Amino acid sequence: MRSKISRGVVFAILCLIGISTVYPLIFMALNSMRTTQAFELNPFGLPTHLTLSSYTALFSTVPFLQSILHSLFVVVPAVIMATLASSLAAFVFTKVPVKMGNVLFWTMLMIMFMPGIVVLLPLYVEVARTGLANNFAPAIFIYTAINIPYGTYLLRSNFRAIPDSVVEAARVDGASWFKIFVRVILPIGKPGIITVGILTFLNIWNDLFISLVLLHAPNTEMVTPTLAQLSGKYTSNIPVLMAGLLLGALPTLILYFATARVFIRGMLSGAVR
Amino acid sequence: MEGRTPLQTPLSQRNRKKRNLFSYFALLPAAVLVLGLMVIPIGATVWHSFTNWDGVSSTFIGFKNFELIFHNPIIYQVLTNSLIFLISVPLILAASLVAAVLVYEKVLGWRLFRFLFFIPMVLSPVIVGVLFSTFFLPGGAVDQVLRIFGLGNFSWLGNPWSARIVVILALVWASFGFGMVVLLSAMSTVDTALYDAAAIDGASWWRRLRSITIPMISGSLQFLSVINVIYTFTSLFAFVYVITAGGPGFSTTTVDYYTYITTFENGQFGYGAALALLLFLIVLTLTVAQVKLFPHREVQQGS
Repeated sequence: MRSKISRGVVFAILCLIGISTVYPLIFMALNSMRTTQAFELNPFGLPTHLTLSSYTALFSTVPFLQSILHSLFVVVPAVIMATLASSLAAFVFTKVPVKMGNVLFWTMLMIMFMPGIVVLLPLYVEVARTGLANNFAPAIFIYTAINIPYGTYLLRSNFRAIPDSVVEAARVDGASWFKIFVRVILPIGKPGIITVGILTFLNIWNDLFISLVLLHAPNTEMVTPTLAQLSGKYTSNIPVLMAGLLLGALPTLILYFATARVFIRGMLSGAVR
Repeated sequence: MEGRTPLQTPLSQRNRKKRNLFSYFALLPAAVLVLGLMVIPIGATVWHSFTNWDGVSSTFIGFKNFELIFHNPIIYQVLTNSLIFLISVPLILAASLVAAVLVYEKVLGWRLFRFLFFIPMVLSPVIVGVLFSTFFLPGGAVDQVLRIFGLGNFSWLGNPWSARIVVILALVWASFGFGMVVLLSAMSTVDTALYDAAAIDGASWWRRLRSITIPMISGSLQFLSVINVIYTFTSLFAFVYVITAGGPGFSTTTVDYYTYITTFENGQFGYGAALALLLFLIVLTLTVAQVKLFPHREVQQGS
């Protein structure tokens, strides 16, 4: 396997897979800047002259930028709350022996892979009944709750790697549990917590089901339902569709590119299982 | 929980009280949210699966919903579809394994490849789905490539089997990055001395892969298999919604998508609750079956 030829083969296959994961982004970017006619003539062609008309068409037909803001408005608080609640719970589960802690943990583990619709069905009816349909608050709290079990599960295995002796030493020095959490667990567990935060962000930003069911009015619609709707309207106008896809993907792509170092290391450290 | 050792220093009564108080406060947010917005709703769904709930009023009707489900021919079609979509699981495992094994060879630029392979996982199933349906439009990108080989336009999404293939391809493309990372993480724990010893014994690269790498990461492979089976049943909604809308006919409708239609578009909440519960039971059975079928494997990967 150390021969040059076999390494060349490995490299070539990696390049092929790499192209398959990157090319769609290039396809979206290039075709969003071409006219429909140019696209239909040759979807793989390079743009001869770039135009931003698809973007103006996108903004004039659907409230696209608003939908991005709506998504941010829901996702950011949900990510913060879910990550914080998960960190606190995982801390107790690993470092603070407490009665009933096991019951809560096993409950979370059991409902972790519950199909979303089992949970959402009664919540939807309750939200509609109380007149909170198309209100951001229920969506924020439901997204928070649904992401807590997985986050807690991941952070629990993460915090377990922190030696108990560190916590004990702080206890002997007279530090309160809260202080230990803030001063010891948060700094040491930071890479894991950031990884879980990013995963939670991706989960919520990319979800279609809950946002589609809970926030369907135009003035509350999040970005994924807007994109899904756009694809129904614009199958004939691919450049407009591509403009929407690219803008919808941009926040998660930026987050990934900006944090890749920490995120990939966090994922590789076995944090995902 | 067995990995937790109780604190060595004896704590005074007052300390213990404090510790309890802190634990309760720390667990409160997670407990309240999970109980209120997950456990209680699950209970409500279980209860309402025995009622004719329409979202406003409900009366207990026993097992009527389940009877209706088992007399509904569409259900059998939908369940068959989900079973067909399970083809994606071995494909995802294979693609993840190939990507992980090749990245692990650490050839030129392997860090970059690892970074790039993860991109699909960052994208929403909505974006992946719309992208794939665009590629497979009649006269679209895929047809243009096929035209080079003298093949004409083909209605990929208008044909049950080709529509399923498009959904499966989208799913595999979106999922292999996560699989790769899980496998890479498992491979990094394998003792390199094993490889060195095997190399001295003259074991080929292929032999080392089969006899060392794959057995050592079998726990992670099983984990991925379980996760992806669950995912196939519970999370294809977004892919199906944007790629085929369940069609043509019901040929790509999955259980979760069908439950969505009956519940949120037709307003049959009791019936939908029964369907949702059925979905949960299927997932639970498949998960337990997979863990029971390979009980020895899980032991190897004590995390």
